[in-house]
Amino acid sequence: MRKQLRFTGVGGQGVLLAGEILARSYVRAGKYGIQVGTYTSQVRGGPTKVDIILDDEPILYPYAVDGEIDFMLSVADKSYQLFKEGVKEGGIIVYEPNLVYPSDDDKAKWKMFPIEVITIAKEKVGNVITQSVVALAIATRMNNLDKEMVYETMIQTVPPKAVEVNKKAFELGYQEAEEVLAKYSS
Amino acid sequence: MPREVVSTGNKLAALAAIDAGCRFFGGYPITPSSEIAHEMSRLLPKVGGVFIQMEDEIAGISVALGASMSGVKSMTNTSGPGISLKAEQIGLAFMGEVPLVITNVMRGGPSTGLPTRPAQQDILQAQAPTHGDYQSITLCAGSLDECYSETVRAFNLAERFMTPVFVLLDETLGHMVGKAVLPDIEEVEANIVNRRVYEGDPATYEPYNVPADEPAILNPFFKGYRYHITGLHHGPTGFPTEDAKLSQELIDRLFNKILAHKDEIESYEEFMLDDADIMIIAYGSVSLAAKEAIRQLREEGINVGLFRPITLWPSPEEKIDELCHKFDKILVAEMNKGQYFKEIQRASGKKAAEFETLFKANGRSISPAEFKAKIKEMV
Repeated sequence: MRKQLRFTGVGGQGVLLAGEILARSYVRAGKYGIQVGTYTSQVRGGPTKVDIILDDEPILYPYAVDGEIDFMLSVADKSYQLFKEGVKEGGIIVYEPNLVYPSDDDKAKWKMFPIEVITIAKEKVGNVITQSVVALAIATRMNNLDKEMVYETMIQTVPPKAVEVNKKAFELGYQEAEEVLAKYSS
Repeated sequence: MPREVVSTGNKLAALAAIDAGCRFFGGYPITPSSEIAHEMSRLLPKVGGVFIQMEDEIAGISVALGASMSGVKSMTNTSGPGISLKAEQIGLAFMGEVPLVITNVMRGGPSTGLPTRPAQQDILQAQAPTHGDYQSITLCAGSLDECYSETVRAFNLAERFMTPVFVLLDETLGHMVGKAVLPDIEEVEANIVNRRVYEGDPATYEPYNVPADEPAILNPFFKGYRYHITGLHHGPTGFPTEDAKLSQELIDRLFNKILAHKDEIESYEEFMLDDADIMIIAYGSVSLAAKEAIRQLREEGINVGLFRPITLWPSPEEKIDELCHKFDKILVAEMNKGQYFKEIQRASGKKAAEFETLFKANGRSISPAEFKAKIKEMV
């Protein structure tokens, strides 16, 4: 089954890493994963999207198809507004409520989950750079991906000295996603 | 055992260079090609090679040429604007017959264009990157696997034909992360081509005195074989000449050494063409969208196939001619305004109006949906 995921933010937030880890984890499992980013020539602040396609079958065209995207995570309003229409009706959108402002129409169209991705990274993990691993964990839970496989791939991909802090980021992100899911489904 | 890796096209091109025997890199960073330089700076010291980031694009190719003249397999890397800057030294490489691999990860142009977005606007530039008469070899990767294999092939062709060889990637291939299956390293090493060396008496060494369809035999500098490399027209020892016969023979040979050996250079893919009613012609990352569209269209009962040139220059002109007369319905798709389309018309002798085209030059990839819509208009 093909899954199409999109992470959006602004240049400099490091969203590329999360996508790469997801793609790698699928390949490790003998499946196929592709990640491709789109960014602007602004050094920081330009809208950025990272598309991830995960599939049991080989993937040719690397970009996600607008209107078919299953899951989007957004940590910047301008990217959210620019890319939200790519998400299929009834698809999942996780957004950072302090930075992204969805309309009531949006909330009717998609399954919207507010998670303070950046606040978790900054205050609970203690390092804002870990936001991409927090986002990775959230995407893993929300899409019912193989937690162990993603976690192990993450440990192998991040720099050795950053393993411990990212383990913490992953656990906190995963837990937060669990809680939000429980809260909104009840 | 084939190697399975997860990587980007840019990193794979760098790994290929190392595996092919490249031991010198000179260049200057430019989006979207910089990761090739980053990776070379990491890999080259591990194998005893040298990496230099120079002060600009021109210096980058200049030191790479110097290293190649001393017998070391060399590489420089850039994107379209960098090729423009390197143009003069590329001419020296053609004229002096100095082997060099030049990777160009294409972005939108002209000028500084669209730095972070994919394009295929440097196809004609690769054919004629500098003034004068010469024959370019240009390879174009169409997948992550080929970012590796075509870079390896470029090094072998550069050494075989003593000429600069271009490898074209584009931003999509350069930056996408995915699975690539690479040939076994022993297989790569077993097929490595090294430039010929003259081993006779240094007093009788004439590096450019070679048959009319063969490259010069340039021994490494500083090993006791003295000769001259110049951008001027030159005779057997490399020293300048204005002799009419020698001048003509030199330029003829720059053509013939490539064109007489096209069978060693030509490469293309025919994808699902056997039972096709419609042929798409596309190359580079555009072919990924074409293949996806073909897969989906065939599920709907529309039989489409793809012809994909891998060696763009010299073009597989006989194959293009043959296929363009086999198919009535042909769609040419490029991320430019039709640069290779000109060559397809020339090779086939067909007029522009006999083709359908899908050209895009806005820094966005052509999607499978766009292919499908166009093909359905043609059915």
